[in-house]
Amino acid sequence: MATSESGSADGDGGSDSGDHDSGVGGRGSAVSLQNVRKTYQLGEPVHALDGVSLEIPRGSYTAIMGPSGSGKSTLMNLVGCLDTPTEGTVVVDGADVTTLDDRERTTLRGTTVGFVFQTFNLMPRLTALENVALPQLFQNVGRGERRERARELLERVGLADREDHLPNELSGGQRQRVALARALVNDPALVLADEPTGNLDTDTEDDILDLFADFHDAGTTMVVVTHERHVAERADRIVHLLDGKLERIERLDEETAGTRVRSSSSAGDEDGNENESGAER
Amino acid sequence: MRPLESLRLSWRSIRGHKLRSSLTTLGIVIGIAAVIAFVTLGASLQAGVIGDISPDDQRNVYGWAADPDTEGGPLAGAQPVFSQDDLDELESREEIDAAYGYMPISTQALVYEGELSPQSDALVAAGPTYIREDTLDEGRQFEQGEREAVINPAVAGQFEEDVEVGDEITVALQGGEQTSVTVVGITETSEGLSPFEGFEPSPRIYVPTDPYYTEDAAGDIPGGGDGGGTDGPGAGDDGGGGDGGDDEDADEQNDDGIGGGDGDGALFLAIVVEAPTADDDDVDAARESALAYLEGDDSDAGELLGDDLAVTLQTSAELLQQLEDVLSLLQNFIVGIAAISLLVGSIGIANIMLVSVTERTREIGIMKAVGAQNREILGLFLAEAVILGVVGAILGTVLGLVTGYLGVWYIDLPLVYPYEYVALAIVVGVVVGIASGLYPAWRAARTDPIDALRYE
Repeated sequence: MATSESGSADGDGGSDSGDHDSGVGGRGSAVSLQNVRKTYQLGEPVHALDGVSLEIPRGSYTAIMGPSGSGKSTLMNLVGCLDTPTEGTVVVDGADVTTLDDRERTTLRGTTVGFVFQTFNLMPRLTALENVALPQLFQNVGRGERRERARELLERVGLADREDHLPNELSGGQRQRVALARALVNDPALVLADEPTGNLDTDTEDDILDLFADFHDAGTTMVVVTHERHVAERADRIVHLLDGKLERIERLDEETAGTRVRSSSSAGDEDGNENESGAER
Repeated sequence: MRPLESLRLSWRSIRGHKLRSSLTTLGIVIGIAAVIAFVTLGASLQAGVIGDISPDDQRNVYGWAADPDTEGGPLAGAQPVFSQDDLDELESREEIDAAYGYMPISTQALVYEGELSPQSDALVAAGPTYIREDTLDEGRQFEQGEREAVINPAVAGQFEEDVEVGDEITVALQGGEQTSVTVVGITETSEGLSPFEGFEPSPRIYVPTDPYYTEDAAGDIPGGGDGGGTDGPGAGDDGGGGDGGDDEDADEQNDDGIGGGDGDGALFLAIVVEAPTADDDDVDAARESALAYLEGDDSDAGELLGDDLAVTLQTSAELLQQLEDVLSLLQNFIVGIAAISLLVGSIGIANIMLVSVTERTREIGIMKAVGAQNREILGLFLAEAVILGVVGAILGTVLGLVTGYLGVWYIDLPLVYPYEYVALAIVVGVVVGIASGLYPAWRAARTDPIDALRYE
């Protein structure tokens, strides 16, 4: 695939990012956390995450819930390769994040994680199309190819007629669709959404969540961080965090999750789905 | 990210703040424009002045006698001390090809076809080779001993009808006496033909020292003391009397008739010595030979020099060197001021880039989240600063060239664009951009994406 090829062409980080197409030794997890601890020194040490282990299988739809200060954001930063744990290992798409340097981590993030934020976080001076194409800009994809891919995704999120609009000319729902299209442009191993509907009204919220479900049905691994129950209930399972610890995992729709077949090219899919139930705890 | 993409993205953020970006570049624009304008002026001035030194002129050594302490250009404080005998002696020397006197003669007016045009100091008496072939537009040099003249276009165009080769002009001298000349040649430009005349265009009639200087009224010798003025009228054949106290010469002069004399007794204000070639060694040999004779006891000049005066013999290039020194001093001064302007300009760019980095913290976070490497962020902001610097340099160059052009056009000089400075200006723009953008870009690059995404 174009994205991973250019990723591996990008120097010695290539061996790591190249792994994600083949999967690692049949382990089907998009993300795997082992005994992860994240400690901040704020006068006295504060454990934002305290010994969390979690598997996020490929093709799954996971919601992460918890009150403020429960470690949701920290977990998201770790899964999104924005941060490294104090202890434990974080494996994203087969690559151990803790062993990567900053540059390799950035490459991994760019090619395997798609972000959707509560505040959309679009580039204000770029058009919808350019925003969608932005991640590919940093993967050295040619302009023509970029635009083609971005156009395709805008069409899939139903914004084909808005490609030349700037973010401030779009509604909140439309902006979040652009952000979702951008998250998907590099064909990532997972999409990481942080309160994706927090700034939207109820109707628009439903539209966006339907879109998430559509992409999940098409095989994309989704991780949604939220504190709203009805948003979390759209997932296969809900991971509850409390005080930096994994409280429990609530399974919502195990049968359907287990039978889902990924349509994308990943090799480890079936294994992943088989292993899913035994992955945690 | 490809460099071109980086430039494209940076250019867009610059265009997003048109006014701010324009004001930021102003310091660079002004600095570069000042340098380019003055360098253009300087180069044009040099070309206008030095361009006048033809290869033929390079073998000429210009001499005059003055108090060694006198400051100033050619002829400053010059006293007429050179006699025709001196010149004949010089010419007979091996190292010297030719030597002739130079003497400006005061006039009152020129008359052509009955039309009168008031004109002072229009007459220049010199040797035939003073008019070099390459400075002649038409006609030929005058000949020694003939009542012939070469005029410049300023004289030719002064009358209702243009003066042409073969025409006759009547010259009214300072003393009221009239003399006539036949035009045999017209020069190309109206600028001076030697450093003695200066380089300002002005109407001039070049005539042979014989007969015109020998019959010139006494007292018309500039800088020739005060004695001459009084016995001017009616003493037309008393050449050389201008310098008081040289009775011997004056007596001799009385023997010479109008036009018939060989000018032995007339004293020239200045001389031109021609070396056989323009080669430096030959020129130096001619100069030393001339100086040795003129300051020796055997020459008339040597007698007149006394203790106060010394003979100066210099080539055009040497004389112009003084002018150039002044020019380059002025140029350095301007460049110094421009450097300050550039420094202020680059501080301005650095400042605005820092503001820009802070303002776009969230954008930096977004870009990093979607896979932008530190060096790509660095490149983006550095490109922005460099674009500001280069755009400033280009605008400054254009402004400077236009200003220089207007200045050159106003002073009426040949236009010479200092192209190497244009290239230098662009380089300076790039350097200023990098220097002022490096720190802000580095700050942008090391922004933590987690903090940046949370930044309001």
